[in-house]
Amino acid sequence: MSNLGFGLQLMLIGMLTVFVILLIVIFGSRLLIAVINRIAPAEQAPAKASSGGASAGSDVDAVLREAVAALTGGRGHIVKVTKL
Amino acid sequence: MNGFADIFRKLFDMTAFSNLVDDPSILIMYLIAFGLLYLGIVKKYEPLLLVPIAFGVLIANFPGGEMGVVQADSAGYVTLADGTREIIWDMPLHKIAHEFGIMNYLYYALIKSGLLPPIIFMGVGAMTDFGPMLRNLKLAIFGAAAQFGIFAVLIISLLLGFTPQEAASLGIIGGADGPTAIFTTIKLAPHLLGPIAIAAYSYMALVPVIIPLVVKLTCSEKELLINMKEQDRLYPDKMEFKNMRVVKIVFPIAVTTIVALFVPSAVPLVGMLMFGNLIKEIGADTNRLFQTASNGLMNAATIFLGLCVGATMTSEAFLNWTTLGIVFGGFCAFALSIASGIFMVKIWNLFAKKKINPLVGATGLSAVPMASRVCNGISTKYDPKNHVLNYCMASNIAGVIGSAVAAGVLISFLG
Repeated sequence: MSNLGFGLQLMLIGMLTVFVILLIVIFGSRLLIAVINRIAPAEQAPAKASSGGASAGSDVDAVLREAVAALTGGRGHIVKVTKL
Repeated sequence: MNGFADIFRKLFDMTAFSNLVDDPSILIMYLIAFGLLYLGIVKKYEPLLLVPIAFGVLIANFPGGEMGVVQADSAGYVTLADGTREIIWDMPLHKIAHEFGIMNYLYYALIKSGLLPPIIFMGVGAMTDFGPMLRNLKLAIFGAAAQFGIFAVLIISLLLGFTPQEAASLGIIGGADGPTAIFTTIKLAPHLLGPIAIAAYSYMALVPVIIPLVVKLTCSEKELLINMKEQDRLYPDKMEFKNMRVVKIVFPIAVTTIVALFVPSAVPLVGMLMFGNLIKEIGADTNRLFQTASNGLMNAATIFLGLCVGATMTSEAFLNWTTLGIVFGGFCAFALSIASGIFMVKIWNLFAKKKINPLVGATGLSAVPMASRVCNGISTKYDPKNHVLNYCMASNIAGVIGSAVAAGVLISFLG
């Protein structure tokens, strides 16, 4: 019976500690988020894909053209590039 | 003729066949190794863990190969080749390597010293995104509820006659976290490390089998159809993030400080977990550290941990009633942890307007991210549009912190 008492005591302390720590993490994080929202500058939204898309696309095209030219000794060329 | 017979007898003695004849129980260990390899390779249950463990079991069970980890008695004594007995903790590592082989060197240098579990936690931290938890902070509380199995099995084990230290090591399997189970067992009951590590990692690998089983026994179809996104739409959370990056950088520092103040014995695990996460979230400035922690170091640690844990599973260490009790008790701890998370959600749903899918409670035990993936699979089976992955990840990640804190409490009280 003393074993049972000791086990129950350990369960109570253990579960209570885990709950308290996670509650502190939850409410502490809420506080943290509120403070950071107030003092840190808002994150910049990522640039729209369409603005960088053209240059990224032309870079890729250029790489593909160079690769095909190198592999075919200048004889082959790209007619069309289609995104799958 | 006698000369030939003598040569053949010596050849027979040289092979492992002679050992098989002397001790056929080794064959059971081969079957266990093949079974674990099958689960890892064919069924793909956590192959990164299960394959090294299973191969470690296989190579440990060829007597003469010197790849099995020797078991010291409860006082720490081992018998050397010349028959003398020594306390293994007093032996230098090179002597351990000379007397018992290279696997024992690795085991005592990396595992029994407690080195690898925190390193693996650092890797886990580097690979974990706390974003889903921060976006669904309320759900983190289910990571606490799912630790109930640890303490329930601890009590049952105490009643069955295990010492408090052994019972705590057995119960921690319910945390579903291999490194935590190993770390706790090293501190409390090092003589049980082999079977406890095997049980912890095997059940982690069997998450795709155990969670659906417990869910089927405890949840109704109506509960599993609760759509979390729909609930979010009906009852939106007022919290907004203006700068998530800064939150994610400050979070690991804050959690480490809080846990260190309340449960210092959990710092080796939680501290390293959060350090790994911090170097991930800082970004380009610490990218080299992040790459090492999440790739090279993590992979090397996993290989050594898996092989060494497998190598503890020799026939003489594994085939006894204590081990069978640990395997059975570990399963109960695991299943109870899942069930207690589910029941906490059920109780929550009785009082809250915003209902929660009980699968979020089932992932309150660790086993990140497999438990969440399995639960997402269950929910989409009932409703293909009902994806609960991000919500499950919230309680799943909280479960890692919860089990490390539970381990810290056990070590503080029993260590």
